Amino acid sequence: MIDGGRQVLHIALVGNPNSGKSTVFNQLTGLRQKTGNFPGVTVDIHKGKLALPGGKMAVLVDFPGTYSIYPTASDEKVVAAVLTQPGGPHYPDAVIYVADTTHLEKHLLLLTQLMDLDLPVVLALNMSDTASEQGITVDTRQLSEVLGIPVVAISGRTGQNIAQLPFEVDQLLRNWDVLKQRKRLYRLNDQELQIAEAIGQNLGETHAYRALLLAHHHGWLPFLSIEARETLAAIVQTKSFQSLRNQVDETLDRYDRFTPIIERVVQKPPAFPTTTTDRIDEVLTHRVWGPLIFVGVMLLVFQAIFDWSAAPMDWIEGVFAALNSWLQHHLPDHWTTGLLTDGVLAGLSGILVFVPQIAILFFLIAILEEVGYMARVVFMFDKSMRRFGMNGRSVVALISGGACAVPAIMSTRTIGNWQERLITIMVTPFISCSARLPVYAVLIGLAVPATRILGFWNLQSITFAGMYLLGMLAAFGSGWLMKRYLHTREPSFLTLELPVYRVPHWKNVWLTVLEKTMAFVWGAGKIILFISIVLWAMASLGPTEAMHMAEQQAANMAAQQRLDKSAADDLLAGYKLEASWAGQLGKWIEPAIRPLGYDWKIGIALIASFAAREVFVGTMSTIYSIGSTDNEVLLREKMRHATFADTGAPVYTLATALSLLVFYALAMQCMSTMAVVQRETGSWKWAFFQFVFMSGLAYLCAWLVYTLFS
Amino acid sequence: MVMQRHIRTVSELKTHECARTYAFSDPALAGRLTAMGILPGSSIEMVRTAPFGFAYYVKVNGVRMALREEEAANILLEV
Repeated sequence: MIDGGRQVLHIALVGNPNSGKSTVFNQLTGLRQKTGNFPGVTVDIHKGKLALPGGKMAVLVDFPGTYSIYPTASDEKVVAAVLTQPGGPHYPDAVIYVADTTHLEKHLLLLTQLMDLDLPVVLALNMSDTASEQGITVDTRQLSEVLGIPVVAISGRTGQNIAQLPFEVDQLLRNWDVLKQRKRLYRLNDQELQIAEAIGQNLGETHAYRALLLAHHHGWLPFLSIEARETLAAIVQTKSFQSLRNQVDETLDRYDRFTPIIERVVQKPPAFPTTTTDRIDEVLTHRVWGPLIFVGVMLLVFQAIFDWSAAPMDWIEGVFAALNSWLQHHLPDHWTTGLLTDGVLAGLSGILVFVPQIAILFFLIAILEEVGYMARVVFMFDKSMRRFGMNGRSVVALISGGACAVPAIMSTRTIGNWQERLITIMVTPFISCSARLPVYAVLIGLAVPATRILGFWNLQSITFAGMYLLGMLAAFGSGWLMKRYLHTREPSFLTLELPVYRVPHWKNVWLTVLEKTMAFVWGAGKIILFISIVLWAMASLGPTEAMHMAEQQAANMAAQQRLDKSAADDLLAGYKLEASWAGQLGKWIEPAIRPLGYDWKIGIALIASFAAREVFVGTMSTIYSIGSTDNEVLLREKMRHATFADTGAPVYTLATALSLLVFYALAMQCMSTMAVVQRETGSWKWAFFQFVFMSGLAYLCAWLVYTLFS
Repeated sequence: MVMQRHIRTVSELKTHECARTYAFSDPALAGRLTAMGILPGSSIEMVRTAPFGFAYYVKVNGVRMALREEEAANILLEV
């Protein structure tokens, strides 16, 4: 069973969505798992190590949940693509098929398809504990005899009989030569037989059912060559084969064959009683209570991301700040020290500081998903979101975006339709995240008077709220726009199962948190670190002459004004930043940003803000030579007195401040988000498109606001 | 030709009304629905309409499912 390039057995874990497959996977592999990508498909797969009897190790591959070998969503395609390519890099040596015992009749379709592909299959009847609670009994021995495959009643939650699965797989593979003689469940009709024969003759695919699947899927199967595709298209054409119709006919034929089997082996109570799930849903999907409770839940999530993460984030920043100053104190005053502290350490801190928010968000999302609430959210908001090119699941991403776009974008993986997922990824960063808060605070404090309107409403708070509203408007507006220009041939379905409410399985929750966090740290982290080092180099290095001049000027000035050591250092930092490459660049882009009302100092801050928006405040402090004081009030005072060098007009008028606010609300100024977008879409194309789109819109709107108010 | 009687669809079911499915009018959707266990002859109950409309919460053979309005309109019912 071991082919050329592979030294270990590959065992596939396949099943319908909601079959409890991932719980079984986590039970079988525990922490010995990692995430990977199938080449050419943007679907994550989990691989884990599985110990077989006799100390042999196998690789267990968890496939996306799918209902049939005829996929209707992109992630479901993986199963068909892999299982129609024997000898392909992912083709499994055996399959563990997980089915929900409480609804066995609708879980057997895919199983019979796999059996007809002559794959060695072990059937795991999951949730057998829940089934017996509901009074459902299954005669596993008889089922095993009739189907001709091993059947094990298991429970992913309690771990019951899980250990028997590798044993059964091992036994099955040992006796496969005898066992594979079982009869097929579906008999191809005349037309299908003719097609299979033609494919056998022309392409050498001698397995009739596999040949039929090639005919059905020839349009998209990634491993087919152009010639093979053309041959298949010609065969399908000459036989006037109607794929969709045959799929339905085959499906119904299969049901006709296995429904009697189910009726024989499964004993269940005659009626479906009203259960706790029905009673909960009366409230949670209620016309009025449903959306209200959802808003409440999301506020809680938002609050948790904001609040619970504050302490660990402060702690992480504190540790890095301490490490930073210790290194600066103990290492020689050399540029390598700067590279280490302001480049590498700053980058690392910029990565790790997001970890609490990501972990908390995914902890809560995993719970909501595990409990079964997410499916209800999709049900309630699907239509409203589809108007804007998104999907019910996008709601979660957009709301999480209010805390941080990075975990929010990572949470879009649950969206099956690629177009809807892409639009969600594209518009989520418009939602005002927590990093924009300090920028808003400084600028609103600077430009908007704290007067009250109608005696109660503070104008500053109204502006604050307006910034959030602007972000939402931009998100939905661009979603609506992108929907008109992004087209996909993928059909969009809702037809979603609303699973029974369950207590979360904590192992699944923790493993999700761990996986998402590690994916961010390793995946996006590399890019963030790199950009951070580039930004450090730009802000601390410059043309030698200019840097030298800056040092001298700062020293002269400090001597003249009899500044103390720390004030002199602040002054030097300001002069050096002005002379650095970042400063040069700031001056160079000044003509471009002057229409928005910005001078070169703001230009520097804009460039530096690409590291993260909150850097704005720190950069402005350095430029105005108050870097070490970290005092927002003082900064505002300095900014208030700033004037344009050529005209002497004040820089920070109401128009400039509003224009800056709008710019920060809309522009893509976050390398972490760009890195995550690149990772999630699998290419830089979309990350750059988003950068250009958001920054272009920001420029336009900022210009409009500046022109309107000045 | 026999005069065509008006055929009801799932989207016309009243809340808590039960019926049996008969056929599907869109082949692509039929593939998806049959794969999920909604077959001709399945018992289907309308549980409720989504809060903002345009989607239905139904029970098919005891399994809870959400359907879009256009999907429900494609499921024809036995008379």
